[in-house]
Amino acid sequence: MDQFSRRNFLGAGFILGASTLFGKEAVKPIVTETKAFVPPMIAFPEKKPLKTISDRPPLLESSRDIFTKAITPNDEFFVRWHMPDIPTYIDLNTFRLEVKGSVANALSLSIDDLKSKFEPVEITSVLQCGGNSRKYFSGSGPATHGVQWGHGAMGCALWKGARLKDILNMAGVNATAKYVGVNGLEKPAIDETPKFFREMGIDEALTDELIVAYEMNGEDIPYLNGFPLKLIIPGHFSDSWVKMLSEITVMDEYRKSFFMDVAYTVPDNDCECVISGGDFEYKRKPIAQMKVKSVIGYPTPNSVIKKGSRIKVSGVAFDQGKGIKEVMISLDGGKSWSATELQKDYGKYAYRQWTFAWEPKIKGEYAIMVRAINRIGNIQPLPGDIGWNAGGYQYNAVDVVNVKIV
Amino acid sequence: MKINILIAGLLLTATTLFSQVAKPIEMPYVDYPIEAGDHDEVVQQYCLTCHSFGYMLNQGKKSRPYWTGTVAKMVNEFKAPIPKEDQQIIINYFVKHYGYEASSGH
Ligand code: HEC
Repeated sequence: MDQFSRRNFLGAGFILGASTLFGKEAVKPIVTETKAFVPPMIAFPEKKPLKTISDRPPLLESSRDIFTKAITPNDEFFVRWHMPDIPTYIDLNTFRLEVKGSVANALSLSIDDLKSKFEPVEITSVLQCGGNSRKYFSGSGPATHGVQWGHGAMGCALWKGARLKDILNMAGVNATAKYVGVNGLEKPAIDETPKFFREMGIDEALTDELIVAYEMNGEDIPYLNGFPLKLIIPGHFSDSWVKMLSEITVMDEYRKSFFMDVAYTVPDNDCECVISGGDFEYKRKPIAQMKVKSVIGYPTPNSVIKKGSRIKVSGVAFDQGKGIKEVMISLDGGKSWSATELQKDYGKYAYRQWTFAWEPKIKGEYAIMVRAINRIGNIQPLPGDIGWNAGGYQYNAVDVVNVKIV
Repeated sequence: MKINILIAGLLLTATTLFSQVAKPIEMPYVDYPIEAGDHDEVVQQYCLTCHSFGYMLNQGKKSRPYWTGTVAKMVNEFKAPIPKEDQQIIINYFVKHYGYEASSGH
């Protein structure tokens, strides 16, 4: 890839570009807060200040109040890379998406080609890291491995691009093809580290809904969200939504890789969880479809609210694409439940915003809980009932926010 | 003891970028605090090649089996080139500064 040989790498120069603001003050417990260290809030390129779990690779978590919006603004959208070497510059004159492997005609497509040679399509879809909300596993069981995200490793955006299917059809997939591999421009620091490479079955790759996106919410995709191209797989966890997508490889055979066969896998049983013994004693399967989930955007944990105030409790709910049927709310720690009002429908893969008018009349501590159910009857488990897996994937238990009425 | 406490408020606004195609982005560098002592220099030598110290701080306090397993994962899965003796020094450092002694647990 000689066109990138002049690139600079993130972190390569270690030039002091921002300050950190970390405090050692104890944070009030949310549901479970296992860490004493509070990551600094830092503004990265094209971003508002976000919780900076790591600068290299960048792991930036959105704050909870973004869940009061059905569409997540680009500058508040979370960021998650795996490898430290990410080009800091992409020249669109030389950038090409390579489509190769078991195809009749290998393609080398510029961004202009993608915009002009294929029908543009748009879809609003949630993008959620498989490890989102992972830290809450430690509320009901042992803490898990992996980055201890709160709920802020997800967002919802309007994506625009070309169908993956149309691109593959232009290349002409061979009859022998069984898998499609995808990877982007992020690279490990040392050659021996496994590359971030993801695969899917050819049938999945040829469905209508997968798109190679070049726009996010009507703008170029922000650099840190994968400029200039990102693969969109509506309804699926984001482990295969490759950023800075640069290669699509059609394959006759599956290629074993760490990031497919070890990372992002769960036990291959009904609950996708550990029933007894160790997680890796189970046969594995990759995480794929998302699970029904709802989170509270307002109020935020430990808010102090004046008795008699009229407040609008709000948040978002989504699932794997079956559609949200109902979101219920409890203000008494789960004893009684009421319906919330579902807001505008942006499509089956989007956030469904919900609201609930509340006028607390009695002083005291309240645990607000929300629970979503989708159109095929999938319902969120209560925090004590969620199945556990060592990788801490797919957390979707009922969200709990404690507030105080004074 | 924490080292590297940074000047707050310095350049927080300097990084907004409007046209990503025009020139390279400039990434902020975060100086995560690393507790000194017990051969932190060995940790700094081997554990910051592929990611920042933020990854470790984010884990919270962890048991000896956790840190032993994590160091083994870095070596076996991600191919971190760390000699055996240094792996032991690193594990002991993390157990002492970012963990606790326990024969099992997380
Ligand atoms: C050769 C590269 C490399 C080196 C050197 C390295 N790591 Fe990692 N480390 C990784 C990768 C790759 C990940 C997973 C990245 C991701 O998913 O974001 C990771 C993740 C982690 C995590 C997050 C939790 C988890 O289980 O994923 C911790 C903690 C960690 N490393 C600690 C260490 C420690 C301690 C050292 C020094 C012994 C170290 N690393 C050295 C590559 C490395």
